[in-house]
Amino acid sequence: MATVTLAQVSKMYDGGVRAVDAIDLAINHGEFCVLVGPSGCGKSTTLRMIAGLEEITDGVLEIDGARVNDLPAKDRDIAFVFQNYALYPHLTVAQNVAFGLEQRRAHGNPLRAMLTGQRDARGRESAHIAQRVREVSSTLGLDELLTRYPRELSGGQRQRVAVGRAIARNPKVFLFDEPLSNLDARLRLETRTQLRLLHRRLSATIVYVTHDQEEAMTLADRLVVMHQGRVQQNSTAQIAYETPANRFVAAFIGTPPMNLIDGHFAHGTFESHGVSLPLPARWPSLINQSKPCALGFRPDRARIERATAHDGAHSVSAGAKINARVVAVERLGDRTDIAMEVARESAMNGGQTRLVARVNADEAEHMREGDEVRVLVDTAHVHLFEPGECGARITAS
Amino acid sequence: MKRRLLADSILWFVLIVGTVMFVFPLWWMTVVSLETPQRAEAAITGSAGIALYPPNPQVANYAQAIRETGSTPWMGFVDALSNSIVITVVVVLATVLSSSLVGYALARLRFRGSRAMFLVMLATMMLPGQVTMIPLFLLFREFGWIDTILPLVVPAFFGNAFFIFMYRQFIAQIPESLVEAARIDGLGHLAIWWRIILPLCRPVTAICAVFTFIGTWNDFLAPLIYLHSDEQATLAVALNGFKNQYGGLEDVHLLMALSVLTMIPCIVLFIAAQKAFVEGLASGAVKG
Repeated sequence: MATVTLAQVSKMYDGGVRAVDAIDLAINHGEFCVLVGPSGCGKSTTLRMIAGLEEITDGVLEIDGARVNDLPAKDRDIAFVFQNYALYPHLTVAQNVAFGLEQRRAHGNPLRAMLTGQRDARGRESAHIAQRVREVSSTLGLDELLTRYPRELSGGQRQRVAVGRAIARNPKVFLFDEPLSNLDARLRLETRTQLRLLHRRLSATIVYVTHDQEEAMTLADRLVVMHQGRVQQNSTAQIAYETPANRFVAAFIGTPPMNLIDGHFAHGTFESHGVSLPLPARWPSLINQSKPCALGFRPDRARIERATAHDGAHSVSAGAKINARVVAVERLGDRTDIAMEVARESAMNGGQTRLVARVNADEAEHMREGDEVRVLVDTAHVHLFEPGECGARITAS
Repeated sequence: MKRRLLADSILWFVLIVGTVMFVFPLWWMTVVSLETPQRAEAAITGSAGIALYPPNPQVANYAQAIRETGSTPWMGFVDALSNSIVITVVVVLATVLSSSLVGYALARLRFRGSRAMFLVMLATMMLPGQVTMIPLFLLFREFGWIDTILPLVVPAFFGNAFFIFMYRQFIAQIPESLVEAARIDGLGHLAIWWRIILPLCRPVTAICAVFTFIGTWNDFLAPLIYLHSDEQATLAVALNGFKNQYGGLEDVHLLMALSVLTMIPCIVLFIAAQKAFVEGLASGAVKG
């Protein structure tokens, strides 16, 4: 168990590419911290800097309060699980698990141990290593595999061996670099649960990198959303979901992602092409202001009702409703995702605004592509964001 | 079906002709080594036909050939054999170790000028041996190394451009994460090379070892240039001394007998290493 602290840590590659830009992060004892973001967001680079596989260009990295910027990887007492597992192909499973321990033994050289009369000490070490390998293999169910070579294992088994190799040494910090992305979907779910259990059992500090936001949300005690080398939000998964710090987080976290409509806020009403939503007075800072912004709401905060003939195109004023046309119906069993395009009076201004609503399957039973519908938005759960890709959420009261 | 049969027949025909072409000289060498002196000389000068088997095998030829190698009976052969073994073993080990180490550095370490050094190294492969022969001789004479095995073995410790190239290409395909895992496990570069890279390079090592072995064991020119005294001669040189010792061809049966003996280690090695060897050639082709 240990804390990991990053203070203004940056990584600049040759040629001036800033992969990680002055990030601050404090990970507590025994915390499961997940770094998540699209590819190229700097999450893996951050992890590799913690591991000591990449040099830190700027800033301070501390493990357990001690600065480790210049400490080589082997002296940081960390374990790293690689995406491709990186098992040594020429060693058996048992030898793979024992490898790190063998490297760290005080009396590694049998000849020297014999000459200096340390044979007993060396023997005790060997027994200890064998014992540790047995413990790890029974924890992870590797007993049957110990004498096999990595090429004789399935993907899931290799993954378990990679985890076994990491826990054998009892390191201060575990670092995982997308360890599940080479597994098939079902195995990924299973292994995810096992990792969670393992974390509880070891109560270890874990830093875990993934691009899969669902995996991130289910695993994380602390969720760190990264984009363009910066931390966009650092909170629990639930907080990131309910109150995203900015538009990027809103769009990244959640499946399907949050609906976002670019528009204008004026006099308590959000206006966009084909959309006019009177909003409750939750944004005191916006009173009497008129400014461009984006409106966001989760797909499960919307309901859909079929547009009937008699209320025509002119009855838009009826509360928080958006007229739209169904373009796709995706049935997931108990729920159905309905993708829509917002109807608009004129075809100005580029692309159509797309919305998704997630509704109960029975509500959507008769929905078909091409249907005209009205989207009812739960205005208690809408967000407003400043314009721009990473525009901050405008705080509501 | 018919077409298949035709293709197979052609393939077999080509393979059989090729096999006969390569195997016959070896077989004939063995036949001549077992002939009487008269029949052997007749076979060589062409005054008799080519015999496919010796009518009256003279196994004693082999004992005589061994006894008459070099200037002292029996010991001449032992000297030549042990010289060949020492030189070959040292050269093979040194070439494998130095070439793989340099290959690792060129494939995995980033340092200023590594690419330029790699290109210069490749360029040295373009130089024919004859160009460097005289400067090298003068250099080694300056060192006082003439008539010692040093000129033959020391250069092997500095790698071989072709094998360095092979190792570099092979090592470049090994996933970087293996090296990183080893770093986290506490290995330095030398240990990574010795404990992770070298075991994974087995196919390349097999090729490197077999080629180097055959090249060194059969090398005639370099020992002839650098080794002058009888006790320093290698088998390849001793073989030649055999021929000149009596002028003419009257002892050609002994020459053949010793040639057969000299060839045995190469054949044994080739058969032993065949699996790793073929695997190496194939894996290079598929992964490259």
